[in-house]
Amino acid sequence: MWIASGASACGTCSVGDPTLTVVGFEQPKASRVRTSAALRHRSDSIGESGVDELTLSEQRMELAGAYSPTDRLSLYLMMPLVHRLITEVNLAEANVWAPGDLDFRVRGVVWRDRKFAPRHLVSMIGGLEFPTSSIEYGPDGRPLPLEFQVGTSSWDPIAGASYTMFMNPWSVYVASMAIFPTTGTADTRASISVRQTALGQYQPWDFLAFQLGVEFRFDGPGYIAGVRDPNTGGNITYGTLGIVGVPHEKVMLHATGAIPMVQRLDGTHEEGFAFTAGLIYDI
Amino acid sequence: MRVTDGIEVDVAYQPEATPAQIRTDMDYRVALDRALIVVGKVELLRCDNFVSDLWALFAPARARAHVLDTPTSLGVPLVIDLMESAGTPEFAGTLRPPPGRYCGMRVLGMPADPDAAGLSDENLEMMQHSVLIAGRVVDTSSGEESPLLARIWEVFDCEMRFDRPLVFDSPVLETISIQIDHTSWFDGIDFALQSSDAVQQQITENVRSSLRAVLADASAQL
Repeated sequence: MWIASGASACGTCSVGDPTLTVVGFEQPKASRVRTSAALRHRSDSIGESGVDELTLSEQRMELAGAYSPTDRLSLYLMMPLVHRLITEVNLAEANVWAPGDLDFRVRGVVWRDRKFAPRHLVSMIGGLEFPTSSIEYGPDGRPLPLEFQVGTSSWDPIAGASYTMFMNPWSVYVASMAIFPTTGTADTRASISVRQTALGQYQPWDFLAFQLGVEFRFDGPGYIAGVRDPNTGGNITYGTLGIVGVPHEKVMLHATGAIPMVQRLDGTHEEGFAFTAGLIYDI
Repeated sequence: MRVTDGIEVDVAYQPEATPAQIRTDMDYRVALDRALIVVGKVELLRCDNFVSDLWALFAPARARAHVLDTPTSLGVPLVIDLMESAGTPEFAGTLRPPPGRYCGMRVLGMPADPDAAGLSDENLEMMQHSVLIAGRVVDTSSGEESPLLARIWEVFDCEMRFDRPLVFDSPVLETISIQIDHTSWFDGIDFALQSSDAVQQQITENVRSSLRAVLADASAQL
């Protein structure tokens, strides 16, 4: 019941390759529509433990849709609903439920080795984060610091490139992405962020694949009212381990855990384990 | 957004009411015209660190232009006019410490910043002094009256122990009252025999020992 009955009937196979790909990694196929829902958890701590530490536990539900009008182009829209629990060093808590920033991306395949069942894809990515997140205010009527906001509430352009290799049962995905935030909530400017992803996937069966990867992120400094936030900037490298499965021909499930391996974040800033689980439905 | 308060400690200074005349333990009567003190920083001390914090007392105190607030300290200087306070508490601020055991408070007396609370045109000289006292001293045995002027410009630490440890392991609101008994500032001084330097030194010591940190429920019992 849980195993896809035939690889030829699945959405991924209609593009000439049986590789299981999550949204954003796949080969575009004209008129293909995919929807997805993902839950993400991450934790973060800023400040000195027992002195002025601020801890953050964040859960996001991301509802997304991807549409490919042609074999070379994919449009991707994602809307997050964010829950943030911020705990101050004196155990005071702020609990926030709010919509985050809408994310729109366009991915265009600029090179592929062949039209049917390509083994190599090179894509360019452009996008924009919209300031759709709500602004949280304190009792004095002033916007709270960026850590307390569920988004940047700024227009943030995105640019990047990716390379995907399909060599059944192996596949590789490498991407570089940069986000350039503009000034947003409370005169804050979030960090410019450059992200590098390298992911290898092994798919021993049609219905199941395993992923192993590395994610590197470099952040520039963030500013609040023109003053640098000392706990922003630096770089961090995560090791990721994931699994992708197909319980039904139109449904794909995936889960990924990410462990920080190297943290060189500026100031007193430490990021914790992150986890993502999601469902993709091919329409 | 839903916000729940954490551990909070309200701190207030509570000077004694100033009597018309203060009788000292050496039979002098002191009539004050002016009595001001500047508190530059107040800090909550962990029990674990109490010994090391005491040790820090022996190190020279450093004056800083402006000490920032932290979860366990208030850094905005406050000028307290003991002639006007008349026994009423003066709110210093709220500390938001992390969980732990706290055994005392440290108060730093220091000259005021330009933006110190309570600084006015009438007491601008407190930017140079930690404590300022002006008045008259009357020797009760001879009836002789002499002027009293003490200007303490040095930065001084005062460490106070609570009568019981404050243990914070969950959100709570506590109140600490720092009592200032300036009626004891002139004890142990023989104004007729001691030099003005010696008088000033003794007053500094007396200022230190006149501060007491009292927890809210303990003060209710007093």
